[in-house]
Amino acid sequence: MFNCCRYLNKTGACRQRFVLLFFLIIFVILFDIPAFAHKVSIFAWVEGDTVYTQSKFSRGKRAKNSSVIVFDSDGNKLLEGKTDENGEFSFKIPKKTALKVVLKASMGHMAEWTIPVEEINLEAVSNNSKPESDIKDSYETSSKSQSINSGSDLSALSESHGISRQEIKRLIDESLDRKLSTIMNMLADSYGGGPSLTEIIGGIGYIFGLVGVAMYFTSRRKRNNDSGS
Amino acid sequence: MHISEGVLSPAILTGGAALTVIGVGIGLKSIDYEEIPYMGILTAGFFVASLIHIPIGPASVHLVLNGMLGLILGWKAFPAILVGLALQALLFQFGGITTLGINTLNMAFPAVICYYLFGWGVKKNSGRLVFIITAFAAGCCAVLFAGILVGLSLYLNGDAFLPAAKLLVAAHLPVMLIEGILTATCALFLRKVKPDILEGYYV
Repeated sequence: MFNCCRYLNKTGACRQRFVLLFFLIIFVILFDIPAFAHKVSIFAWVEGDTVYTQSKFSRGKRAKNSSVIVFDSDGNKLLEGKTDENGEFSFKIPKKTALKVVLKASMGHMAEWTIPVEEINLEAVSNNSKPESDIKDSYETSSKSQSINSGSDLSALSESHGISRQEIKRLIDESLDRKLSTIMNMLADSYGGGPSLTEIIGGIGYIFGLVGVAMYFTSRRKRNNDSGS
Repeated sequence: MHISEGVLSPAILTGGAALTVIGVGIGLKSIDYEEIPYMGILTAGFFVASLIHIPIGPASVHLVLNGMLGLILGWKAFPAILVGLALQALLFQFGGITTLGINTLNMAFPAVICYYLFGWGVKKNSGRLVFIITAFAAGCCAVLFAGILVGLSLYLNGDAFLPAAKLLVAAHLPVMLIEGILTATCALFLRKVKPDILEGYYV
């Protein structure tokens, strides 16, 4: 590298070349890192058949009145809405697919969040399409049939077990969603906060390091010029 | 002020990046050994300024300080702002790596414009009133022009220009005022402590 510097120095452009080279190196390093940057952030989570989203700017200010657009895995637009005063927006899951939730805040700010297909509860979605009373009816009739024909009718028993298992699963899901909602809210609150002190100090350190490197190379060039003349 | 990734089309991103490369080239050409520490300190100031949020107005806005950089550094504001923005994108997730070019252009070009518009007044032997007014105007207008440029970038992307620019300028009105005062204060301080900074180191 220093040989190269000496060589370039003959052409009289060592310093500029080196500063340029340095920025080039920074660029190469930067472009290697996957781009995930956003100044607004959106956090989305599933509760039963509904997706809740919370949007905010860094430092916790909520993104009010921003449009939220939901895409499926193929990039088709499913629905669109606006966030409320708290930066929140919720919608019923329209179909079983991975959902990409895109937030478009004002002034060129944008963020997205993807909900993988595994997180979407198929039964909750299909129950959503089925009227609630229907399930209750079937549950009641099945429990009735169970109490009347206790043990005598095997086929009726197995059928009732099947339904009640489904019912239990649904109830567990519901209560889990209820219990986890506080944790989800906490997660949403902590997601996308402002930068920490470590990052700030680190950034300033980077700048001073860059100054040092730039000065090193320019001083080399200066010394070379002095000794040359 | 930071445009996020995925908002603008690739054509605008490359155009902005190309213009930024030209600006950075001009800036680097005029760097002198003695100026590098100033550039570093101002870059650090720019880097941290974006963390100071102004809780007034409809959206989340923060200080930019591009007027001050332009006034002192001239064309060298381009490389300084580029480094500041790169670190902000990397560490704070403000803006983004792909939008680095257009964001640098949007903030550094107004800095250079303000340097040419108001730089003549911010000298050690100009009158005190002229000095304060031009420094204030530089800090103020750099943010204003940056807002207009961001609006223009969004307009080129297909958004309506006037609503976007109006919103941007309205959101940054308090910032403009604060930056004007800040730039004037800093320039006055520099005039008292180290007037050479305002004098010799121009393009």
